Amino acid sequence: MLAKASDKWVWIVAGLLLVLLILIPFKWFLGPYTNLMIFIAIYTMVTLGLCLLMGYSGQVSLGQAAFFGIGAYFSAILSKTYGVNPWLAMLLGATATGAFAYVIGIPIFRLRGNYLAMATLGLGIIIYILFRQLGQYTGGPDGMAGIPYLSVGGFAFNTAFRRYFLIWGFCLASLLVSQRIVNSRTGRALRAIHGSEPAAESVGISVSFYKVKIFVLSAVLSSLAGSLYVHHLRFVSPQSFDFLASVVIVVMAAIGGLASIWGAIFGAAAIRILGDEILPRFENLSLLKSWDLDYLNIIVYGLLLIVVMVFMPQGLFVGMRDAFERWRLKHAQREAVT
Amino acid sequence: MKSLILETRGLYKAFGGLTAVDKVDLSVEAGRITSVIGPNGAGKTTLFNLIAGVYMPTSGEILFDGKPLGTAPPHNRAALGIARTFQNVLLFDNMTALENVMTGQHSRSRYGFFEAALRLPKAHLEEETISLNAMKYLNLVGLGMYADRNPLSLPLGQQKLLTIARALATEPKLLLLDEPGAGLNALEKQSLSELIRRVRDMGITVVLVEHDMDLVMGIAEWVVVLDSGQKIAEGTASQVQKDKRVIAAYLGEEEAVE
Repeated sequence: MLAKASDKWVWIVAGLLLVLLILIPFKWFLGPYTNLMIFIAIYTMVTLGLCLLMGYSGQVSLGQAAFFGIGAYFSAILSKTYGVNPWLAMLLGATATGAFAYVIGIPIFRLRGNYLAMATLGLGIIIYILFRQLGQYTGGPDGMAGIPYLSVGGFAFNTAFRRYFLIWGFCLASLLVSQRIVNSRTGRALRAIHGSEPAAESVGISVSFYKVKIFVLSAVLSSLAGSLYVHHLRFVSPQSFDFLASVVIVVMAAIGGLASIWGAIFGAAAIRILGDEILPRFENLSLLKSWDLDYLNIIVYGLLLIVVMVFMPQGLFVGMRDAFERWRLKHAQREAVT
Repeated sequence: MKSLILETRGLYKAFGGLTAVDKVDLSVEAGRITSVIGPNGAGKTTLFNLIAGVYMPTSGEILFDGKPLGTAPPHNRAALGIARTFQNVLLFDNMTALENVMTGQHSRSRYGFFEAALRLPKAHLEEETISLNAMKYLNLVGLGMYADRNPLSLPLGQQKLLTIARALATEPKLLLLDEPGAGLNALEKQSLSELIRRVRDMGITVVLVEHDMDLVMGIAEWVVVLDSGQKIAEGTASQVQKDKRVIAAYLGEEEAVE
């Protein structure tokens, strides 16, 4: 009911946000934050995959960084070492990641709850170790530099300004596609699995098939994000895909709101802004002088996660939307009284 | 000549050393309301779970429409035309009442991932059919006005009707109802009986497990009695009520002997 009454407002707000998004990278506006915004878009795609998996179908994954990394390394190695067209490398990476997720998903999704979490955790750690140890291909712990830019015809995405539009294009397309899937027959099947597996089976939904399917989709989204990541940074190293990276993705998903597609942006933005812009300012505080910034980040993310889970268990996005609806209702009531 | 929609032959299920269903031969005639009754622990729900494919029999077989079901998993049996409800309701609390019923149309529709992602006309058309059909079943059980409600906000009686609507949306040939009357008041039971008859009149065979004897005797055209996993009697409601073994099973041996 509430959603219908505020439909008009949703469109207005969405339109304003889109205009804002287009204006951000211009020098006279928020140009200096272009890089930050690009990372937000990339992490939104990874978070989105996890939201679909965790929020809609109720399956945990603590190894999403693995798929992010596979996409990244596929693009890096194919395009740099073997001179493959970056777009083709991206496509091959996404296909390979999807196939890998499918093969691994069939045995892994026989597990549930904590066991599934442990298995995906193990998967993430194994893949991370492979990135480090397969030095002859991946460059080992030092990583790889000099990865080529993406380009279309003669137009190279060689400035952050250009990449901003490319990567946000990918990000918004992923959000739109996910939104449509969630509101479709497939999305209902996923939510049904979350609601009750025996009941889902009883209406003809193959629970194992859909679990693997959404796992593959989440892996492909992460892989695409990984490819965009390396063609943006032109550098890749295993640290970006370690266990903490997977945890950060879970935090982003939880903060944004597990069961909301658009919440993924909020989660990714909150954590990236905090980690890239706000926390580094405290680096020079005497108390924190001897600290590794990574540890500080994790502590703050952990605290934030606790606060959000306690006060807005459905995440920032849904929490703020509900708060807005309550405020609007109260306002409307007051007007009705006077 | 009567046609059988469901048949079990020597159906046997043991959990470890415990025999839950003991060599049951069941014949369910198409288009009738059949009720399976029996005291607690008689194996009624296990029998249902065997038919629905939740458990696989230790031995024996189940024939649906003359064909053995083998090891088909529950979702395939739903597609074949076996629908069920659960004793403990099991509605999807993360969607509306209408969406709950829409999930029932899952195996009666085809469109998937890509059609939805690209919003192809096929997806749109099928989605429209799905929601129209779902609304039809929601109206059939009398819950049309609660389409947008969360199922858990409805009283238990209506939740049970909603699970029946969800099961009917799978367009079954056989509907298994597991204690549909439990927890309902007299008025709700009355409308439940009417609904079950209406479902039968739509050509759907109904098998119900039920504790409430008044409900069973009022609507069942054939009654099968289980005790300790074995079939001890079957017949019309009035035949079964007079059966000595049935009385013994319900009241205890000594009283029956006297």
